Amino acid sequence: MGKTITIAPVTRIEGHAKVTIHLDDAGNVADTQVNVVELRGFEKFCIGRPVEEMPRIVTSICGVCPWSHHLASAKANDAVFGVTPPGAGRKLRELCNAIAYTEEHILHFFFLAGADFVMGPDADYAVRNVLGIAQANPEIAKKVIRNRHMGARMLSIVSGKSIHPVTAVPGGFSKPLTEQERERLLPMADEVLEFAKFAIGFAKQSIFPKYLDAIKTLGVTKTGFLGTVTDDGALNLYDGKLRLMKPDGSYTDFAYDRYAEHLGEKVLAWSYLKFPYAKAWGEGFDMNLDAPKGIYRTNTLARINVCDRVATPLAQAEFEEFRAKFGRPAQHTLLYHYARLIELLYNAELVVQLLNEPDITSTETRVPVKPRAGRGVGCVEAPRGTLIHDYQTDDEGMVTDVNLIVGTTHNNAPINMSVKQAATSLIKNGQYDQGVLNKVEMAIRAYDPCLSCATHALDGTLPVKVEIFDHTGQLLDTFVNC
Amino acid sequence: MSDEATPEHCACDTLVLGCGNELFGDDGFGPAVARRLREMPDPPRGLCALDVGTAVRQVLFDVLLGPRRPRRVVVVDAVDLNREPGDVWATEPAELPVVKLDDFSMHQMPTSNLLSELARLAGVEVTCVVGQVSSFPREVQPGLSAPMRAAVERAAEIVVGMCLRPSGAQLTPGRPAQTGPAGGQGEPTNG
Repeated sequence: MGKTITIAPVTRIEGHAKVTIHLDDAGNVADTQVNVVELRGFEKFCIGRPVEEMPRIVTSICGVCPWSHHLASAKANDAVFGVTPPGAGRKLRELCNAIAYTEEHILHFFFLAGADFVMGPDADYAVRNVLGIAQANPEIAKKVIRNRHMGARMLSIVSGKSIHPVTAVPGGFSKPLTEQERERLLPMADEVLEFAKFAIGFAKQSIFPKYLDAIKTLGVTKTGFLGTVTDDGALNLYDGKLRLMKPDGSYTDFAYDRYAEHLGEKVLAWSYLKFPYAKAWGEGFDMNLDAPKGIYRTNTLARINVCDRVATPLAQAEFEEFRAKFGRPAQHTLLYHYARLIELLYNAELVVQLLNEPDITSTETRVPVKPRAGRGVGCVEAPRGTLIHDYQTDDEGMVTDVNLIVGTTHNNAPINMSVKQAATSLIKNGQYDQGVLNKVEMAIRAYDPCLSCATHALDGTLPVKVEIFDHTGQLLDTFVNC
Repeated sequence: MSDEATPEHCACDTLVLGCGNELFGDDGFGPAVARRLREMPDPPRGLCALDVGTAVRQVLFDVLLGPRRPRRVVVVDAVDLNREPGDVWATEPAELPVVKLDDFSMHQMPTSNLLSELARLAGVEVTCVVGQVSSFPREVQPGLSAPMRAAVERAAEIVVGMCLRPSGAQLTPGRPAQTGPAGGQGEPTNG
């Protein structure tokens, strides 16, 4: 009889997941599954609501990347209403996106994934967390807290609030930036930029060299990639065209409102979450590690792989060094962390650059809109991957259809593949310990997944379904806690 | 620059964190209590109430590791612990079931061990004010049930009472702050 190891929940990722590893009779990995519980019923809830309410409503989907949902929704509204925001409105949106990125990437690298690196994957489980980092490296922890908060403060200054934003509206941005606010923001932006430079230097000197073996071996899968670039191929996180790259590095560019022609969604019986795949490649969907079909990844590594260049000088230099070292496309899953720091630097530079744009304080930040029937697609690069909002409205501007593809969903298949690869390489003859299992979790955390659950309670109760299979594939037992 | 780097919510006396997702019925209890406290015409001095939704982790990181801390943190959240719907009581983190030891995910909830560390390492008085839900919907369905709507005011009163209590006074878990539901169990409502 085969044996089943369950790691639930995976810690330090956003939301919760359950990893099930099926062992064969010899104690080796036969199969793995990463199960998640997603937010259900949201699309149905939106039907019949005024579409202009959507940018405000969607920030409740997730408290981790509310700005990404807010901006994707505002862009979908622009398309529904057939308007283009004025220059200052667009720049203020992009400024907020860049600030939110700095906050997110700092937090993820140092406190969520960083514990594995700073404390070491084999460190005692009780200290392999943010407090362990704070006690082992108090000065770094202070810098992290200070700069992460600086991002939140900057968002509050630009938009009034950072957690549940409301300022991106159909046609632009509701609140102009004053000269006084710009003067207040500039030194803060400079400080965050200095921290971003420190962060990537620190990681390259003190973190990554220690884990070169893990980077080369852990969770490695060969896939394609999806990300957003400008017309001239530069990395862009707010707007541009989508670039879908095959594992061999060849790629196709397309407008994001044509995503359905290029991407399909596979449903598997054992997962609540759909599995997007590259429909346009015409090879179907298969998560076989040796011969994957239709599999692509999003998030930081994907964006660094698909772009031809980075538009800010310091990040461009880091990008060139990365590409020279790891090639294109780089496939090592743990390189997501390295790519994340390049993006941190890019966004920190971009914030300074945007704040110095003369017209960012223009009071012309929005154009009026009129309700009409239409379809609008909004797309931004969320920290966790390409985020697509697709709305349809009737003559009165009421929502008649909604489709969302969130960043983590794009990575559902590759996360499962990386876990299987990691588990297969680390668990032999039924032998494993806590450090090995945490490395399986590391393969997941590299993607920075955000697996929103349907509800929560302070006692940790979650709607979880556990299925146990034997080595013949027969269902032995099912446990449901809700 | 130091002013910009210190969150206002770390400089107050009592920080109230209303946790939960308003899209999911009674899960919106915490944010509703935070809103009620903010709407008070004459709130206790030094009270700062935040609707942190599902983003509580950022604030807790600030409080735990930042340069300044409030004297007291009150986490307001919904729970399902088989009590009467609408029951509201104050408790300490250690009294809550520990489901996830060593977990610092905090996407949607402040885990009990982090709250304990907040008290132990940062010297902050940490209390939870929790409300027993009628149910959690399986799909998106905003709006509190009738018992939880009634419980919002009682929870706000408990928090105000804490603000008036001298620092260090010990809670007896569940008493005296516990209050029963004002009405019977109602159907979840929208809005």
